[in-house]
Amino acid sequence: MTAIGKTPPLLEVEELNVTFPTPQGAVDVVRDLGFTLEPGGSLGIVGESGSGKSMTSLAIMGLLPPRATMSGRVRLAGRELSGLTDRQLRRVRGDRIAMVFQDPLSSLNPYYTVGTQIEEAYRAHRQRVTRRQARRVAVEAMERVHIADAARRVDHYPHQFSGGMRQRVMIAMALCTEPDLLIADEPTTALDVTVQAQILRLLTEVRQETGAGLLLITHDLAVVSEMTEEVLVMRAGACVERASAERLFSDPRHPYTRALLDAVPRLDDEVGELRTVHGRGPSPAAGATEGDER
Amino acid sequence: MTPAVPGPQVLLTARGLVKEFSVRGQGGAFARKRVLRAVDGVDVELRAGQTLALVGESGSGKSTTARLVARLLEVTSGTVEFQGDDVTRLSGAALHRFRSEVQVVFQDPYSSLNPRHTVERIVTAPLVYQGRSVPGGARAFTRSLMERVGLNPDHSERHPAQFSGGQAQRIGIARALAVGPKVVVCDEAVSALDVSVQAQVINLLRRLQREEGYSYLFIAHDLAVVRQIAHRVAVMHQGRVVETGDRDALFASPAHDYTRALLAAVPRIRPEWEAARRARARTRETADGKRETT
Amino acid sequence: MARFLIARLSGVVLILLLVCLFTFGVFFVLSPDPAVQICGKNCTPELIERIRTNLGLDEPLLAQFFSFLGGLFAGRTYGVGESATHCAAPCLGYSFQSSQPVWDMIMDRLPVTATLAVGAAVLWLLAGVAGGLLGALREGTWWDRGAMVVALSGISVPNYVFALVLQYVLVVELEWLPFPGTVTFAEDPGGWFQNYLMPWIVLAFAYASVYARLTRANVIDTLSENYVRTARAKGLPRHQVIRRHALRPALTPIATVFGMDFAGLLGGALITETVFGLNGVGKMTADSISRNDQPVIMGVTLLAAFFVVVGNVVIDLLYTALDPRVRVNSA
Repeated sequence: MTAIGKTPPLLEVEELNVTFPTPQGAVDVVRDLGFTLEPGGSLGIVGESGSGKSMTSLAIMGLLPPRATMSGRVRLAGRELSGLTDRQLRRVRGDRIAMVFQDPLSSLNPYYTVGTQIEEAYRAHRQRVTRRQARRVAVEAMERVHIADAARRVDHYPHQFSGGMRQRVMIAMALCTEPDLLIADEPTTALDVTVQAQILRLLTEVRQETGAGLLLITHDLAVVSEMTEEVLVMRAGACVERASAERLFSDPRHPYTRALLDAVPRLDDEVGELRTVHGRGPSPAAGATEGDER
Repeated sequence: MTPAVPGPQVLLTARGLVKEFSVRGQGGAFARKRVLRAVDGVDVELRAGQTLALVGESGSGKSTTARLVARLLEVTSGTVEFQGDDVTRLSGAALHRFRSEVQVVFQDPYSSLNPRHTVERIVTAPLVYQGRSVPGGARAFTRSLMERVGLNPDHSERHPAQFSGGQAQRIGIARALAVGPKVVVCDEAVSALDVSVQAQVINLLRRLQREEGYSYLFIAHDLAVVRQIAHRVAVMHQGRVVETGDRDALFASPAHDYTRALLAAVPRIRPEWEAARRARARTRETADGKRETT
Repeated sequence: MARFLIARLSGVVLILLLVCLFTFGVFFVLSPDPAVQICGKNCTPELIERIRTNLGLDEPLLAQFFSFLGGLFAGRTYGVGESATHCAAPCLGYSFQSSQPVWDMIMDRLPVTATLAVGAAVLWLLAGVAGGLLGALREGTWWDRGAMVVALSGISVPNYVFALVLQYVLVVELEWLPFPGTVTFAEDPGGWFQNYLMPWIVLAFAYASVYARLTRANVIDTLSENYVRTARAKGLPRHQVIRRHALRPALTPIATVFGMDFAGLLGGALITETVFGLNGVGKMTADSISRNDQPVIMGVTLLAAFFVVVGNVVIDLLYTALDPRVRVNSA
């Protein structure tokens, strides 16, 4: 990397704050979060439910619920996203940044064929595309994620696919516009473990092929340890520790990270009393966050 | 009756369990009804004071098997023997007695606890339904039960929504224990919980077994969790048990291809990182120990 | 597909038979002796006896039911010898009041009811869906509240009250519309339209209110679906997100409700027809009830049941076209 004409980072997040109004007052679900991701790099954000990890991804995409307020800066390849109008942001979403969600069944519209839904993603960002061209793109995208018989399957509806195949469709949909950044929010949480392994392998493979950066949001420490070069641990909306995967897993510095690692049941550990995390820290109040603490 | 195999006495034996559901095939309203065999000739044996884990992916029939054993579903064929009775044929008072011997803890604590009832009402309800008196009065009984599952006894007048997910699951466990069962069926009882909370609940289940001698039929898809709690493991795939064995033997040298595939698919943190982390933790502990002694 | 249709249609026949049996039971067994009613004031026991024989009322009940059914499918002959009259299939009997065949009476009035129902349906669908959509997309604003207040009043104000108010305002005060008369479309399309306009509005108002609330609730639910979030994440323009990903799933269940409502209306809009003096099935029913004209009431009941049952089958078929999840998996 040369000092002059240095390419800007793929994604820069600075002082990101997300606040939800609740009857008990405003709740900060993300506080002063900052990180950067170099082009083609990968970052995993791990945390338990209510840690604000999903809200972070939605904030980057500009998809926060209307009642949420957000402050801070999000830059994509040097371009400020936080000040953009909805229309300008729309051109970035799905084109430069694409997203894969947790539950592929509910994330695909049951009323349209998967082909239609992939074509839609492509045509939203390409001028003057014929139906036929869009369809070819859809079939190619499905082939790229190894859906057998893509030319026929393209006309099938989501309910005619298995869970793993649906997630492949979601990935195909994300990839068809050749995005620079892929955000995967718990992409394998709803899947069986054998299918999870296939989807994770696929994500690694497409990343190598396309050179896209990956932001992986998950609660599963083992999954990030396999998938990303860098890891950021979140708790109660704030970053607790951020390091390379190797450093974080071999030398966790923050007590919370240590406790979290201790609590994970393993296949090759001695069986004994599991260490538990004591206290859950300043937990944001209910409703605004995604889970456990109600 | 003397058990042929050494070790604890066999408490519950299921033989040749079959459960068929009639389902509509693909194509919705137009499809011919067809029969789906969810459980296909399953034999399981649960020993007193031990944990038998049923592991498998979605659709493997593990939950259906558990429900057949607890007689929440009627078998298509097969027998479940418990204390000399065939559970599948019990009715009336005998079935009532069986219900207080075998209890179930479900996956989602919130949806399986009545949100309008207090903890006290929830945990005493099974006794009231069965027309039994509550030993020592409802308040004292609830308090002691809450203490046993690690909840603050002063919260007996609270409603499920006022507890976190892990605490709510403890209420679910308390309710199961209220009638003094011998067998507790845990149907994905820790699957929805965050790792740190999950570890606490697993520790609780283990302690209760150690101190009070419960037998668990533990249904889970997470092999690492199963390894922390099971004495014996039965791996299910497509309605059948493909492999049964003692935990250590099964995890160390799985015999069936499917078991191997399942184990191989589990994501893990790199062993060298793990080793480095443990080594650091140990030196830290000894350092702490030294500091305390000085 | 063929198997499905056969199964459904045989179900329809069975249900209609049960409805026949039930209405027959209610009207001919539980109500006062029809022969006495027909006979009128200057009645002799002999006359009653003759009417009984003519109508077949002296036969066992089951036999009467089967001759009624036979009349429906094959026609039947009342009386014997010279006084015999043949009633061609589908025979629903004769009105006690006017002695006209019930079938003909219904067929005469059905076009009026159908016109009323179709016009009102168009109006209520447009207004209901538009109002509901406005409420959903502007949730919590004054637009939303305004639309829902109107909808609530549509549900709570009885429609004869609304009819009278509307008549007073539009006809008496503003003189925008003439007094309702009987004009056919062929004679004077403009007059015909003016004539039907108020009934359409009145009938549509209550339905539109229900549909607006339903649409609003469905659209709000759908907007929070994960696939709507996916559509936004893909960068689709807002109008496309709403039209394709929110509206279609939200409106599909409304098709079911609509089918039922519309089919039910073909059995007559009692109040609206009566208030506006429209000579449709509903008004005829109201008149027949007040005069205890049993064959007519029974005929209308059967007709209404027929529309509802058939409407249901049509909805099921339509649903398979609207929702891919229940669609046949064509190989």
